[in-house]
Amino acid sequence: MATYQEFIQQNEDRDGVRFSWNVWPSSRLEATRMVVPLSCLFTPMKERPDLPPVQYEPVLCSRPTCKAVLNPLCQVDYRAKLWACNFCFQRNPFPPAYAGISEGNQPAELMPQFSTIEYIVQRGPQTPLIFLYVVDICLEEEDLQALKESLQMSLSLLPPNALVGLITFGRMVQVHELSCEGISKSYVFRGTKDLSAKQIQEMLGLTKPAAPIQQGRPAQPQDHSFSSRFLQPVHKIDMNLTDLLSELQRDPWPVPQGKRPLRSTGIALSIAVGLLEGTLPNTGARVMLFTGGPPTQGPGMVVGDELKTPIRSWHDIEKDNAKHLKKATKYYEALASRSAVNGHCIDIYACALDQTGLLEMKCCSNLTGGHIVMGDSFNTSLFKQTFQRVFSKDYNGEFRMAFGGELEVKTSRELKISGAIGPCVSLNAKGPCVSETELGLGGTSQWKICGINQFTTLGMYFEVVNQHNAPVPQGSRGAIQFITQYQHSSTQKRIRVTTVARNWADAQSQIQHIEAAFDQEAAAVLMARLGVFRAESEEGPDVLRWLDRQLIRLCQKFGQFHKDDPNSFRLSESFSLYPQFMFHLRRSPFLQVFNNSPDESSYYRHHFVRQDLTQSLIMIQPILYSYSFYGPPEPVLLDSSSILPDRILLMDTFFQLVIYHGETIAQWRKAGYQEMTEYENFKQLLQAPLDDAQEILQTRFPMPRYVDTEHGGSQARFLLSKVNPSQTHNNLYAWGQETGAPILTDDVSLQVFMDHLKKLAVSSAS
Amino acid sequence: MAESYVKPGNQEKGWNDPPQFSYGLQTQAQGVQKRNFLNKRVPPPQLDGSQVSLPSGAPLPAKPLSPTLPLAPPPSTVVLPARRLSAVDCTALSASTHTECEATIEDVMGLLDWALTACRTTVKRQVCDEVSKRLTLFQEMWISGKLSSPVKKRMYYLAEELKKQNWDSADETHRSLIVDYVNEVSQWMVGVKRLIAETRNLPTEVLNAEVEGPSPKEDTTQNTQ
Repeated sequence: MATYQEFIQQNEDRDGVRFSWNVWPSSRLEATRMVVPLSCLFTPMKERPDLPPVQYEPVLCSRPTCKAVLNPLCQVDYRAKLWACNFCFQRNPFPPAYAGISEGNQPAELMPQFSTIEYIVQRGPQTPLIFLYVVDICLEEEDLQALKESLQMSLSLLPPNALVGLITFGRMVQVHELSCEGISKSYVFRGTKDLSAKQIQEMLGLTKPAAPIQQGRPAQPQDHSFSSRFLQPVHKIDMNLTDLLSELQRDPWPVPQGKRPLRSTGIALSIAVGLLEGTLPNTGARVMLFTGGPPTQGPGMVVGDELKTPIRSWHDIEKDNAKHLKKATKYYEALASRSAVNGHCIDIYACALDQTGLLEMKCCSNLTGGHIVMGDSFNTSLFKQTFQRVFSKDYNGEFRMAFGGELEVKTSRELKISGAIGPCVSLNAKGPCVSETELGLGGTSQWKICGINQFTTLGMYFEVVNQHNAPVPQGSRGAIQFITQYQHSSTQKRIRVTTVARNWADAQSQIQHIEAAFDQEAAAVLMARLGVFRAESEEGPDVLRWLDRQLIRLCQKFGQFHKDDPNSFRLSESFSLYPQFMFHLRRSPFLQVFNNSPDESSYYRHHFVRQDLTQSLIMIQPILYSYSFYGPPEPVLLDSSSILPDRILLMDTFFQLVIYHGETIAQWRKAGYQEMTEYENFKQLLQAPLDDAQEILQTRFPMPRYVDTEHGGSQARFLLSKVNPSQTHNNLYAWGQETGAPILTDDVSLQVFMDHLKKLAVSSAS
Repeated sequence: MAESYVKPGNQEKGWNDPPQFSYGLQTQAQGVQKRNFLNKRVPPPQLDGSQVSLPSGAPLPAKPLSPTLPLAPPPSTVVLPARRLSAVDCTALSASTHTECEATIEDVMGLLDWALTACRTTVKRQVCDEVSKRLTLFQEMWISGKLSSPVKKRMYYLAEELKKQNWDSADETHRSLIVDYVNEVSQWMVGVKRLIAETRNLPTEVLNAEVEGPSPKEDTTQNTQ
């Protein structure tokens, strides 16, 4: 008999779904009392090497307000060749092609193991993918050279039929005409004047001619050739573009002492979005912005060009002292929305030692599913390799990136959809499944994810609408169907359908079943996403208070205790890790902006709300493994007591990999024992965490920073700031033992946090 | 045939810059779906009334060695328990990089020129001239010693694969070169890329007609400029 852990894991492996609750409370009232909403993490394009796509169209329910896809939960009458939709109960005839089906000869989409199935459909012309490079040329010479090389390299990594274009910007914005013959030309725009999409298209000569002949150029056939002078197939233009890139110079406008370069990022992006909008709406496209500093001129500027005026910090924002913030954010939000409507995604590759305006520009990537990569310089391994991984391929040799994702969710009638949190926009699709309560992006049952890959994960939130006195039949199940259409990197159109169901249970009489089926890992991540969503519009302390309140309510509901007796408090195993997750979440950079710049906070949050469960959990509560002579590597408490002189620790926070050598290990290393043959095992010990780290470094996107440090090292702070400070300078001598390293902090420890939590949970005064 | 190596990151330009993996290592790692094996957590001292706030949860099988003087050496007779076989040792470079390239520039150019000549029958003159320009640059860089040994070796391999009509392999090799050695090859590699792309699209009669063309060891006197 499979345990719930196994059940949960199997479902995630097969369907890419992790629910907070796997047995559902059957009434609305009871569901709200559960504290954690009924919700799931859903990875629409979960990698399934064992799932070959089928080459036909999905069969749909004929009811116009339903249109659910035929799935294993449907009742089938093989004799009459009818099927009953499990969502609306409509009886539908099978299409003629299904005449030969029977119990022994089922189509794939009816088999239980195909709860997730992928269809390849032929619809419309196959349009090539587009990559539009938007390049900041106000970089230091070395940085510009490194960036140029990376761009030249990327031409070899693109899909061969892809269209490619180049816009460079500094004080002015240049749109480069790509041609194979003669002199290279470009159109120059002032970096200060905002233009409408129509104006941009007119100035670039992209509007349809009113008369058949225009300036000697024959009228362009409608949509037939997908290229224009600014976007050309890479296999035709690669040599010329390589030369063009080689010849790129640093922005020629001199930068006076005490000033920043004039950077017209806003106009550059506007032109990029407008160019794609005019020529190729609704095809897979990436606008790839490479920038080495903040926008300092024109609409979307984030800071002025005077160096003595620093770029806004959190302190400035709190004091309402960030002059350009509102206007710039609004500007980029408008661009992002337009881009999302067109199905184009925007990536931001920002490499600089100071902030570059990610706070204002983040919506460009967050709304469109584009990437944000943040580094110190384009001449670093972190940027170069992360950028290479944008073009990574899967086990089939096909590109991981996909475009134009449109997700539709259908629910059985006891459920409605409250919203989604992730790299998407709402399609404002009203319908019977849409709840009036909004959590995240609500008021819709359809969302668009312009840039999507196998790891993109949305948080989806549901509402149980069954009334308290409407009993649900014993053993009945609620169902949810996720239908994701997208453009595969091969330019094929595909549809992925996932249909899942879970049992209803009466919370009054069967609470223990509901409890046992609680997925604390999923619940932690789903609550965390709600917290991060709130943090965008609420004050930090309010978000923490909300999070704490939910945790206390959860403990009150599901803890076993005697009133007013904290020592009696217990939580069952399925909840045992949850308070710890919440403890670490409260201290995480997602909810604590202290010690991070606004750009860094934006960067961390951007990655948090799109990763799958395992990676998200690592971000909330980093993994810590200990290496020693005493046994194989083992996970240890993320606690100061795990920091011991004769251990090496490997910590993974997702954004950093930290290898920390305990004091004795560090001394041995310094003394050079690893070079001596009789201490070969010490050499192996030193190598072990490096090897394990390597596996993560080779695959993760974005590539993490890599910290190799030791006791007393300044970089040790990366480890010390994450561990639970069970021993601080305040309490070191209270315990009477001296294991572990004390942390100099006034933060509460997990123990103190738990003590407070228990007190509040058991208190009859709540 | 791509190398597998790991180089340190650029610590001057990037704080805690991660190490740089060769193209060969990266593609090998990404094709295979791996579950994150470093994914276990230890539950905290239980919410079970045993107020062991003192974190003795972490096992301490032996007395930790004192960090104070005198510094005792590490255990030398302890046999480490078997670990997962790990990937390439960070410090070891593939043996092939240590040896010098045995092929000569004439060998390589002979093969590349064969392909270019075949292309000239059907491909636009301008494209062939552009490719030729870049091949010349490659040749000059080789002769003046500006190319490292791994680049030379891989170029020879690429040229051989091209002659054998193993297009994917040649293409993959060009990619591995431009990823791993971009600053050496960026000026001319796109010409090689184009050459592979154009040659593979040639009609088979043209390719087979040229099969009697120069073999790897023959000197070619063709001046394609």
